[in-house]
Amino acid sequence: MSDSAVQGMLYGSLAAGAVGMWLATSPRTGALRVLGSFLASAGLIAAVAMFSGPGGDVTNKILFWMFAASALLSGVLMVTSREPVYAALWFALATLGTCGLFMMQAAPFLAAATIIVYAGAIIVTFLFVIMLAQQQGRSFYDYRARTPIMSIVASWLMLAALLWNFQVWQKSAPAPETGPALTAEAAANPFSQPSELNKVDSLRALGLSLFGDYLYAVEIAGTLLLVAGIGAIAIAPRRAEGTI
Amino acid sequence: MSPATQHLVLWLIPGAPLVAALAIALLGKTVLHERSHWPCWLALATSMVCAILLVTKLVPSTFENADETVMGAMATGYSWLKVGTIDVRIDLRADAMSALMLTMVTSVSFLVSIFAAGYMHGDKGYPRFFGAVSLFVFSMVMLVLSANFLQLFIFWELVGLCSYLLIGFWFQKPSAAAAAKKAFVVNRIGDMGLILGIFLIWDTFGSMDFSKVLFDADNLSLIAQDHPTRMIAICFLLLVGAMGKSAQFPLHVWLPDAMEGPTPVSALIHAATMVTAGVYLVARSTPLFMYAPQAQVFISCIGATTALVAALIALTQTDLKRVLAYSTVSQLGYMFMALGVGAAGAELATAGATAGMFHLVTHGVFKALLFLSAGSVMHSMGDVIDMRRFSGLRKVIPVTHWTFLCGAGALAGVPLLAGFWSKDEILAVLHEAGHHSEKYGTIFTAVYWIATFTALLTAFYTFRAYFMTFWGPERTPPEAGHHPHDAPPAMAWPLRILAIGALTVGAAVAVTHLFAHYFEHTPGFTPIEQHVFHIGLMVQSGLIALFGIAVAWFMYVKNPGLPAKVSQGANFLYDLSSRKFFLDEIFTAILVMPLRGLAHLCFLFDTHVIDRIVDGVGALPRLLSAAPRLLQTGYVSNYALMMWVGALACMGYMLGLFHQ
Amino acid sequence: MTADSGCYLAVGAALFVLGGIGFVTRRNLILIFLSVELMLHGVSLTLLTFGRMHNNLEGQSFTIFMLTVAACEAALGLSLVLSLYQRTKSLDVDIWSKLSEPDLPKWDKPVQPLESRVVREEHPASPRLTKAGGLPEIDDDFPVELATTTDPRKVLTPSPPDDDY
Repeated sequence: MSDSAVQGMLYGSLAAGAVGMWLATSPRTGALRVLGSFLASAGLIAAVAMFSGPGGDVTNKILFWMFAASALLSGVLMVTSREPVYAALWFALATLGTCGLFMMQAAPFLAAATIIVYAGAIIVTFLFVIMLAQQQGRSFYDYRARTPIMSIVASWLMLAALLWNFQVWQKSAPAPETGPALTAEAAANPFSQPSELNKVDSLRALGLSLFGDYLYAVEIAGTLLLVAGIGAIAIAPRRAEGTI
Repeated sequence: MSPATQHLVLWLIPGAPLVAALAIALLGKTVLHERSHWPCWLALATSMVCAILLVTKLVPSTFENADETVMGAMATGYSWLKVGTIDVRIDLRADAMSALMLTMVTSVSFLVSIFAAGYMHGDKGYPRFFGAVSLFVFSMVMLVLSANFLQLFIFWELVGLCSYLLIGFWFQKPSAAAAAKKAFVVNRIGDMGLILGIFLIWDTFGSMDFSKVLFDADNLSLIAQDHPTRMIAICFLLLVGAMGKSAQFPLHVWLPDAMEGPTPVSALIHAATMVTAGVYLVARSTPLFMYAPQAQVFISCIGATTALVAALIALTQTDLKRVLAYSTVSQLGYMFMALGVGAAGAELATAGATAGMFHLVTHGVFKALLFLSAGSVMHSMGDVIDMRRFSGLRKVIPVTHWTFLCGAGALAGVPLLAGFWSKDEILAVLHEAGHHSEKYGTIFTAVYWIATFTALLTAFYTFRAYFMTFWGPERTPPEAGHHPHDAPPAMAWPLRILAIGALTVGAAVAVTHLFAHYFEHTPGFTPIEQHVFHIGLMVQSGLIALFGIAVAWFMYVKNPGLPAKVSQGANFLYDLSSRKFFLDEIFTAILVMPLRGLAHLCFLFDTHVIDRIVDGVGALPRLLSAAPRLLQTGYVSNYALMMWVGALACMGYMLGLFHQ
Repeated sequence: MTADSGCYLAVGAALFVLGGIGFVTRRNLILIFLSVELMLHGVSLTLLTFGRMHNNLEGQSFTIFMLTVAACEAALGLSLVLSLYQRTKSLDVDIWSKLSEPDLPKWDKPVQPLESRVVREEHPASPRLTKAGGLPEIDDDFPVELATTTDPRKVLTPSPPDDDY
């Protein structure tokens, strides 16, 4: 395909996605919303497809499209869902899709950690809060999006700019780097030796990086978590029993 | 005495009151309370002892010094202001004139402060009062001890400030606040003249030190030859300053109103000390004035006018303190008359200054006595001071009665009392000037007769007040309670001591010419060869005083109905006097009303022009912001959208940048 | 850029933008929060892809820190949401519009509920249902809590009767 054709298809699919998004937002009801959601995610997937797909074998390709499609579809549904509980669940699914992509980008540890932290902890907390706060069911403010057109236009412009940018980059793609050359000093360090165990996609390498290069940052992040925990306890309102 | 001791003594005179003022200001409200008079007493006693030491030991020891410019006791201080060729030092300098005045100031202050402890007892502002009095004494003493004109001006202003604070001591009273403001504003007119005069002095002489400007006779005559008109201008400007501070016509209007302050303040500041600062300034600047005879004649004329007008007003006042206030104005006029006789001859200048300063000292004593006695009357009458509301207090408050009588006698010029001698000297010097001078003889003769007539009026109104208060049927106002009590000891003893002073100080000092002999050692004055008594004049003035008293007795004791008839008979004249020659009304018409009109114009300009401009400046941003403010919806989502759009804009900019 | 990274970046960008739309258009405090998390996912994916492209571990390390910060943010954010909820009993973010210009014409007024799911208040004079088997008796001693609140939970619960009723 020629460049201009690719460009045209990219923008065309993006426009379709925008229209779908507009259809999917509240306060519309019924089939229109379902149609809109699928149109939006289809447009997004099509836009992604305008890039050269993932390398590797067929399994790889199937897995990528599966994960990407599930992430984007559940992202669209999460943003447009009227039910906060459903939205949270769609978010969990989007997280799972993203984690699949993480895995394919040679980050299995991160994928596991994200699933544990998000799907395991954060989503559960959100669901708790939603259930506590909205016992009486749906609320009118979940039924109408605020300034949908303006925000969809702005967001899609941004998406178009980003994708166009990626395309420009992809064309002028430099040769893949094989990692920085090791200095003599680093070469003497057994932990810096490039070995099978120290490959980028190994957990051991990540551990060495975190507790070697970023030790202080890790400690500070731990402290930050502690402080945030204390802060959350301090901020959370004292309440009478049985209420929230 | 060693130089170190001299230093210490000189610096202690102003230093002690300053320390007391600071101590009372810092501790008065929290620690001292009703004991606030102690620092003041101790400090003023220290000052008085040092001043007496100064006048008896330190200054006489410098009399033999040949060099006139350094005559006097000096205590170096520090350089206060040093800009270019100006080097203003804060130094202390005492010569015969200032030593004599210091003695009077510190001793009267001490006695008044003792009196005040009794008088002010129980007042809410008790510490404030003594703090201000200490500060005043410090300022006054520094004024007298000044070694240059700028230092004098600083403390000149400071005594004005203290006067303001003390007139407005009961500032909750609207009349007191207004009187304080009036005194301050009227004094500003005079002070403007003074500071202009000082500028001119600095411009002409290149220095403001007394030693260079006043006592360096050769230099002075040289400059006077070069700039004759300038000398006149300087003298007139200094005179304006002196007129403001010493309440000379037409700037005297503030002094009677200043009686709103506590009576000890009236006694100390508005009778004995501060108001004489103008007299001191003119006497101090006599070497300068010798080159401006027009100014000197003007001084005498102003003095005569003031004395006469004030005495005429005093005739009909019914407020005891106001009678005394006008008599103060009148007596200050006497002093000015005497200071002007230098126009008739250089030798007379010394005699005139001597007479003026002598009257200043004696007046300080007996007028303080009179005011304190009036205060004592007020104290026992429950703060009533209108003479029509009480009478016959002879038996009720005997101590006050006797002390008031002594003061009144001294003021009236009853032979052998203080006022008699000093007033007689002034009359004598005026009389001599009238004969001596060819050019201004007529003027001085007129002034002499005015002074003589004023002496008669003085005797009359003083004893009118005395008879109205202490003679006649015994009446007390209801405010006084059932048993009006005489002065308590703290008030009675200062009265007695001052009474003895009023009786004797004139005779003791005048007969022997002690004062004149001492005074002529002041640098810048030529010594007088011989001192004579003018027996004829003495007899004349004595008779005049007695005649005035007799008339007062005839009108107010013998025939109590007579004053009413007289006032009805001479209705217009009576009104003229009791309404103070309509001076306040005239001032209102020619000064206050036009100024008020101008202020109204300014107000209109302000509201219609300036305010409109300011409103316009305020309306412009409102106009410009009419559209953007629609974005401030307050909804979080809208702000988020703006952020989102902003990020988009940033991204567009970056993409554009990449393609360059 | 390796040839296959582009699509990962595209998915990351799409997730980021979807999160952004949610952040702007949703009015539920918790969903706004969730949208931010979705944006973070997109950024994480992008970071990882870049790390892979450069064949180093910085992208992964950064993502782990992002995870940490996201956890902190979720903890603090949820407690803030709870305290906001305590004040208004609502998760509507438009209630908090104190920053608005006071005299501004509201061009975007808060919308009214579309479906009326709010439980209607009962007429105060109508008798309350008592427990099955009890007598529908109303006398002055019976502590009836009148419906004065719009909170439907309270409207439907009569005061508990005495034990010996």
